[in-house]
Amino acid sequence: MADATHAHVDHHDHPGFFTRWFMSTNHKDIGILYIVTAAFLGLVAVAFSMYMRLELMHPGVQYMVVDGEPNGHIWNVLITGHGVLMMFFVVIPALFGGFGNYFMPLMIGAPDMAFPRLNNLSYWLFVAGSTLAILSVLAPGGDGLSGTGVGWVLYAPLSTTESGMSMDLAIFAVHLSGASSILGAINMITTFMNMRAPGMTLHKVPLFAWSIMVTAFMILLALPVLAGAITMLLTDRNFGTTFFDPSGGGDPVLYQHILWFFGHPEVYIVIVPGFGIVSHVISTFSRKPIFGYLPMVYAMIAIGAIGFVVWAHHMYTVGMSLTQQSYFMLATMVIAVPTGVKIFSWIATMWGGSIEFKTPMLWAMGFLFLFTVGGVTGVVLSQAAIDRTYHDTYYVVAHFHYVMSLGAVFCIFAGVYYWIGKMTGRQYPEWAGKLHFWMMFVGANVTFFPQHFLGRQGMPRRYLDYPEQFALWNEVSSYGAFLSGASFLFFFWIVFYTVRYGQRVTEPAYWGPQPDPTLEWTLPNPPPAHTFETLPTPDMWDHPAGH
Amino acid sequence: MAAAARRGEAIDPYARADRPALSVTLRPNCSLTRGGAGWVLGLAAAGLAVPLLPVAGTAVAWGMLPFLAGALLLLYWALRRNVLDGRLTEELRLWPDLITVVRREASGAERRWHANPFWVRLRLLDGERVEKYLTLEGNGREIELGAFLSPGERQSLHDDLAAALARLRT
Repeated sequence: MADATHAHVDHHDHPGFFTRWFMSTNHKDIGILYIVTAAFLGLVAVAFSMYMRLELMHPGVQYMVVDGEPNGHIWNVLITGHGVLMMFFVVIPALFGGFGNYFMPLMIGAPDMAFPRLNNLSYWLFVAGSTLAILSVLAPGGDGLSGTGVGWVLYAPLSTTESGMSMDLAIFAVHLSGASSILGAINMITTFMNMRAPGMTLHKVPLFAWSIMVTAFMILLALPVLAGAITMLLTDRNFGTTFFDPSGGGDPVLYQHILWFFGHPEVYIVIVPGFGIVSHVISTFSRKPIFGYLPMVYAMIAIGAIGFVVWAHHMYTVGMSLTQQSYFMLATMVIAVPTGVKIFSWIATMWGGSIEFKTPMLWAMGFLFLFTVGGVTGVVLSQAAIDRTYHDTYYVVAHFHYVMSLGAVFCIFAGVYYWIGKMTGRQYPEWAGKLHFWMMFVGANVTFFPQHFLGRQGMPRRYLDYPEQFALWNEVSSYGAFLSGASFLFFFWIVFYTVRYGQRVTEPAYWGPQPDPTLEWTLPNPPPAHTFETLPTPDMWDHPAGH
Repeated sequence: MAAAARRGEAIDPYARADRPALSVTLRPNCSLTRGGAGWVLGLAAAGLAVPLLPVAGTAVAWGMLPFLAGALLLLYWALRRNVLDGRLTEELRLWPDLITVVRREASGAERRWHANPFWVRLRLLDGERVEKYLTLEGNGREIELGAFLSPGERQSLHDDLAAALARLRT
């Protein structure tokens, strides 16, 4: 046993800037690093989409021109870059790596992650992967130009035949991102399973911690499949194998099956941590414990499980049998059941509550609206017959932006405004948070709602030009995108202002008494570097009314 | 003792024929049971097998197998390593003329302390960072006890030990 050191009782270590941020093994610091890096990469990905909306604002090709000629490769590179960055390097790192790292251990009363150095490795693999992703945009690629233009799904044979090293860099980027996510997921699972505070049984864990656990398990099961698929792409490209090449007995449609076996769970990997955040925000600002805690937990597990058996609804048009299409159609519709359980439980939590429309609550309610709209169009698209018409049109673009990017991004902002006082010790100006919300909410809807109309009119996705008939809604959509883009820049100013000049918050539970108390609200703002070295006791977090 | 050493077991330097008046073994909190770990690994194995089954027997299965098996092995290693890291014990025994504490680290290393219970001093202190810091002082050393327990558990251990010491002294 250690000799007693009473000095140790009040001992604090103060690492220097470089040690703290570049060699960090502290889950809170690594969480902040994830969020900041994801925000920077988000800025790059949003810049790509602004440029794309600028080009689409009017018919004809105005900006993506090389030697006076319209150049579709630039367009293709931008949609690939936007997709790869958003899917792998922005939303998941912010929600799972950022908030997951920072708040999951705090909520379960663990002093840190189970493997702090592995956590550091996960973060730096993510940084290395994102660097390769950016490099792939600049490196020599297809059509004698820079960058790869095959889309984030990296479909064969386009991806196996495109010249240049850009495609290889993109594959390595996704490899590193996958390795980072798998190591992070294993760390989260071990921490969640083995380091919960005494008395915190699985049916008493806060919903955000549960959402991280479900996400981690989905990452563990889905990402190795992607890693295998893209490794085979790599060997098809460089070593003469023919996994996806029919001339050697391979099958390009098999690549699509494997990709979407990962890709559909990926959609839930993106959104499930957001479910956790929104649950806490709605409960806090309705002054009511969350409605139906256990159904909420099992709905997340059900969404995670069913998410693995519906992948082929992304590829109804590749030539599957009617029986297969019928199965995937029905299985997809079943997901609406647990999702409905969650939506109605959030509404029931608000029902009769003393609702306070603070900024995080606005984002959570915005999420509810956008996710429900996107969910309903998802049920429309799940029907194989209707999908024949909508496949690869702007209707699909509108659908997945409503559920994933807007739904998930609204969750990120809800989380930032909910917890920024906890993470920095300073509070954002309420007017600024609300202005940001309304700019983004209006902008996002003006951007994506008209895209349903464009899809119904038959406008295909993945093109840089379109006929005159689609001009009106494209122009409206672009104005919405610029408003959303401006709101994102405004968000950076809000964060800068908050960290630098924001009002200090000293009350640990600064949103008032928690209807479902979670342990982060027992800590100072910001929490000290080392928390819960002494185990928390059930009276700090257990609240029978919440369950 | 020699037989124990031959069998490769740790030798108990404080082994006595008479039963201790108080014997407590302290273990850190570990929320995952052996059965729970089995469930987690079983679910992961089943989930990872799903994408493999339809392509079993094809070349693509070989392309995916290393990654799927690797993920499962990593999870197994992580759970095992974490449980082993938590396999730390502090064993406290109290006889009328001897009090002993043996701490066995997860690595197998042992640290020992003993004293005459008549002279030991038991203290429970509230610090800024550590609530109810429990120490035992005697034989020229002050050691911490149950640093990995919750404050309530240390309070309860303190009360039990204080009562047992008082009984022995009267």
